[in-house]
Amino acid sequence: MRKLSILHLALLSTVMMFSCSDDEETQPEEDLQVVLVENLHAPADEMDRQTGEIIALNSYKYYSFEENKLIESSDGNWDLGIKGLSMIVNNGISGNGNAEATIVQGIFEQYNEIPQDLILKVDTEEGLAIPGGSGNGWYNYNMSTHVVSPQPGNILIIKTNAGNYVKMEVLSYYQDNPPLNEVDLTTPSAYYTFQYVLQPNGSRKF
Amino acid sequence: MDELPTIYVLDIKGNPILHAYVEVGNKNLIPVNAEGGVELPDSLDKEETLLIMAMGYDVKKLPVKDAIENPSIILEERIGKLAEIVVSATRTNRSVEDLPMPVTVIDQEKIQETGAVRLSEVLREQTGLQVVANHGTGLQMQGLSSDYILILLDGEPLIGRTAGTLDLDRISVSNIERIEILRGPSSSIYGSEAMAGVVNIITKSNKRGITASVQSRYRTYQTLDLIGDLGISKNGWSIYAYYNRFRTDGFDLDPEVPGLTSSAYLANTFQTKIEKSISEKWNAKVFVKHYHEDSQNYMEVLRNGTPSLADMPGRRKDLNVNPSITFKPSQHWTFSLRSMSSFFDTESATVFREDGELLEAEDFRQFYHRTELQVDHQLTDNQLVTAGAGHLIETVEATRYNDLNRFDAGYLFAQHQWNPSDRWSLVSGIRADVHSQYGAQLSPKISGQYQITEKLSWQASVGVGFKAPDFRQVLLNFNNASSGYYVFGANLVNEGIKRLQQQGQVQQILMDPNQFGDLTAETSRAFNTGFRYKLSDDVLVQGNLFRNHITNLIETTPVARLTNGQHIYSYLNVAHVITQGAEIDLNWRILKGLRLSAGYTFLDTRDLDVVDRIENGELYKRDASNRTKLVTMADYGGLLNRSRHSGHIKLNYYEPFTGVDMALRGIYRGRFGFGDVNGNLILDDDMEYARGLMSWNLTLSKSLDNGIRLELGGKNLLNELNRHDPTNAGRLLFAGLQTNILQLFK
Repeated sequence: MRKLSILHLALLSTVMMFSCSDDEETQPEEDLQVVLVENLHAPADEMDRQTGEIIALNSYKYYSFEENKLIESSDGNWDLGIKGLSMIVNNGISGNGNAEATIVQGIFEQYNEIPQDLILKVDTEEGLAIPGGSGNGWYNYNMSTHVVSPQPGNILIIKTNAGNYVKMEVLSYYQDNPPLNEVDLTTPSAYYTFQYVLQPNGSRKF
Repeated sequence: MDELPTIYVLDIKGNPILHAYVEVGNKNLIPVNAEGGVELPDSLDKEETLLIMAMGYDVKKLPVKDAIENPSIILEERIGKLAEIVVSATRTNRSVEDLPMPVTVIDQEKIQETGAVRLSEVLREQTGLQVVANHGTGLQMQGLSSDYILILLDGEPLIGRTAGTLDLDRISVSNIERIEILRGPSSSIYGSEAMAGVVNIITKSNKRGITASVQSRYRTYQTLDLIGDLGISKNGWSIYAYYNRFRTDGFDLDPEVPGLTSSAYLANTFQTKIEKSISEKWNAKVFVKHYHEDSQNYMEVLRNGTPSLADMPGRRKDLNVNPSITFKPSQHWTFSLRSMSSFFDTESATVFREDGELLEAEDFRQFYHRTELQVDHQLTDNQLVTAGAGHLIETVEATRYNDLNRFDAGYLFAQHQWNPSDRWSLVSGIRADVHSQYGAQLSPKISGQYQITEKLSWQASVGVGFKAPDFRQVLLNFNNASSGYYVFGANLVNEGIKRLQQQGQVQQILMDPNQFGDLTAETSRAFNTGFRYKLSDDVLVQGNLFRNHITNLIETTPVARLTNGQHIYSYLNVAHVITQGAEIDLNWRILKGLRLSAGYTFLDTRDLDVVDRIENGELYKRDASNRTKLVTMADYGGLLNRSRHSGHIKLNYYEPFTGVDMALRGIYRGRFGFGDVNGNLILDDDMEYARGLMSWNLTLSKSLDNGIRLELGGKNLLNELNRHDPTNAGRLLFAGLQTNILQLFK
């Protein structure tokens, strides 16, 4: 059901060329790879359609960016948990790890350095690091078509348990990453497609 | 001296103009008789000039000898209905020409030529008006939607809105005498809702004698409209009774999806107007209208995982009772006391077709009462002062509301109309509303017109408009069980969150709930300026520029997140919006019996918060190949459902040999945004637009000597369709017959 693949982003070389001629400092120390994760199915709790009562609880899907795979249990070495429209980080009220996250805006390919003053958050009673709600967190919910779309330009910045930085962009909430104009109420949902870049050396540059 | 013949005053179709006068000699006015004729006094000098005049027609001057030669005198209608008397602009009678604000009058003839049976069909052919679908067939004016347009029936507000839209298909047109359309905010005399403008529907009343007629019209989709009316005037009494039965199969633009685009329904309208002139000074009137509609539609619902058909029967009723009394102690004073009570009631259900199990049932009951006193005082020859006071009670009881809810309000208004010179005309007014929900609101407005030359006049007005928060925004208590979200009115959100918190359902508060609860009225500041240019008796050009700046717009916002991943929503005054544009109208009488009119509207709308985000580089979009890009101002298309360009062209031709009237109209609605597709919730991509289209409509009609009128025509003849406009049924063909019963048996 889940397919992991690795892509070399053509754009990355453009960025490198630009960096080389301009500023030696921003050149990445190694060729970072863009990882594309497709159709990660993370369904929300099941609800009785007529009464609204929850009839079956589903577990979060726990993802590790370092290992590029799902972790079986919440006790493991995961970074980001996903269920329905919710996202949690392995820290604070959600886990025993050290992961942190926040949302920044920009163009994924061009976002090549995390500013020093950017504060990453953990999940607390007061709020989650990646807040929920249309327009608050990673998605927009269209009240007239009921379509969930990843908010364009939102990049999730995650610090993994190991202390490395990840930039991640959700591309789709629907099975097989369809174009948004083909999504309707019958399209299977809670199938995440996202891309990310992990900087394994602890630097804030991508 | 020879005996002078009788002269006849006729319109271009050869019908007598019964309200015409002939002026002979020194201010000697002679009214025409029942055949439109005037016997010229024998003493008349043949070289003398006759003046022939009638309201709504151009004055004709001719020497007596010409009248003797050709005693049938034909008057031509004044172009652009400039002489028409309008009441809605000032709550007093003023002619269009004299009013310093943009006003349009649609008379009975204009209504008939559209072949319309429901009000939406008439309004969609007017410059500056757009008919759009949103929980019914709603109106859009100056870029503002149905919520912000006050619709009056004989001067009293129509109630019964669904999600802000007053369904224009609820109103039959065959009993309408004229429709007055006033653009720009008019809260200074009407209060809430009159933000974009006012549409006043004036229904017929019986003028003289006994009248009786029946009409029928049949058209595509098995749509049948039947009408009967009866009028009696005698001994100071005037009674007019009207009945309309309308049925339609509805239509379906998308047959692959179970359910109709527009429901099948049967509607009955009964209306009675009784007037009694008690004495010279006292006049009393009662207006009663009852509407009853049964509709039928269906849809497919998932039932235990399998798609099942469910029927959706609906019922809608309303009743209006409006008594009023007028006292005119002298020429200078008029007192009118008006009262209105209106009941609006809807019931709807969703029932599984298979076994009749009820999935959902909902009802909504609204009551509105208003009593108002208005005093008009003619201060001097050129100054008219109007003052008024009123109160209103509004209650709502519905499935989605707790208990019976009630709003109370009171208001005062004053208006001063002044013509400081022959060239100037000024109207200024102010109204204060005090409301149990949103507190006080002050709405001033000033309008002026300057007659630059005899042919050209310029006008401008500045005013404030407002719309009170409605019941839904304040008191809604709605839980969508199937998807698990809640919507609370602003007054209930605190309580609702507390309750859900106690049940352990709230995961995270997104906004401080204390921010909610004090919804204030939405307000606009508006500016209109325009001109009327009468190039000749046959050509009239009118234009108007407008700008509305709306603040405190109420929107739904997520307040808290639930453990099931869904949200609690409520209403908050957040948005700032600008709508601006230009309207231009041309009326041209090319030949006798051949008229051309054309209208164009340019509309620009924008949400100022979106503009800020674009300018700050905070809004992104995904392109077709899924790349993220910054949104630029050039991408931004403004508010949804607004056409930047719209207009119409109309050709009216009266063919004198066959007596056939032809009205050909092309109504253009430019492309408009139907919704967000690329994920950023704003209109910024070509695929988010529905294409523009032109609807060609033709009506042919002929009136016979025995009072029968035949009609044949079609709407949207080229069958231009757009699945994002559910008010557009595609090509409709119709045939109709109207008879004046008494004339038939004469």
